[in-house]
Amino acid sequence: MAKRSVWSDNRFWQRSAAWITGFASVLLIWLTFDTMAQITIGTDADIKNGVTKRVPAPTVINYKITYEMSTKRGHEVPIIGGNDGQGMSLFQEKELFFGRDDWSEEEAAELLHLGKLGSQVKNCMNCHTLLGNGAYYAPDLTKAWLDPQWGPDGSMQAMTGKNTKEEAMAEFLQNPSKYPTHARQMPNLGITAEEAKGLVAFLKHMSSIDTNGFPRNFGKIEGAVHGK
Amino acid sequence: MFEPFVDVVPSFFGWLNQGPLTLTIFLHTIIILPMIWIYRQEKKRIEQEEN
Repeated sequence: MAKRSVWSDNRFWQRSAAWITGFASVLLIWLTFDTMAQITIGTDADIKNGVTKRVPAPTVINYKITYEMSTKRGHEVPIIGGNDGQGMSLFQEKELFFGRDDWSEEEAAELLHLGKLGSQVKNCMNCHTLLGNGAYYAPDLTKAWLDPQWGPDGSMQAMTGKNTKEEAMAEFLQNPSKYPTHARQMPNLGITAEEAKGLVAFLKHMSSIDTNGFPRNFGKIEGAVHGK
Repeated sequence: MFEPFVDVVPSFFGWLNQGPLTLTIFLHTIIILPMIWIYRQEKKRIEQEEN
């Protein structure tokens, strides 16, 4: 009788498949719970106590957010309320958002929620990318708030006739087809003043999320070209 | 080859997926090594059945 090979033996493949399937199931369940810790939104208390969360509380809209190169991590990280010199947020320096820097947790959450719903209703992702989801027909919005184009030295404030980043963004969102910006002009989506405010809050909050440097080489940011 | 783990929220999977090397070592450990073990067991079984 010819010698039977293990490779052509059914039991070997059955047991291997059972092991891999079983282990993969356990791994995926574990990963699901592990992810929860990463994506759970922080609280206002975290911000007040100087605790860095990957997704900070909605009240982060009360703070100044910058995007700074972390040599330790090899990419840019959002710095909230000032840098402690070690590449960590200080949560101290505030910034007016539509004239206020005292948005309560409830108010900020409500505004963010309005913006999130607005972004879904107007289907921003049909053209833009948010946190890695969406299209690249129009600019990536993940770090849009940090785009110097909207800052005091950028062209957008002058173009929209506004003096602050949030007002310029809100004005643009309400009348996008009035302002020539990107190579492809954004159409008018009928966004109301209140919705625009929510959307800007949504964008500001999104820019404060630590995305491990995504999108890589966010080119318009000064210094960002050093990203890995 | 090995760099300090500097992720914001420390996690086993964050450590695991630092790059292709750690992931490869991990996957070989959990897939290939048990398969070698299963192979040897089955080989033994077949040899016993043939005798």
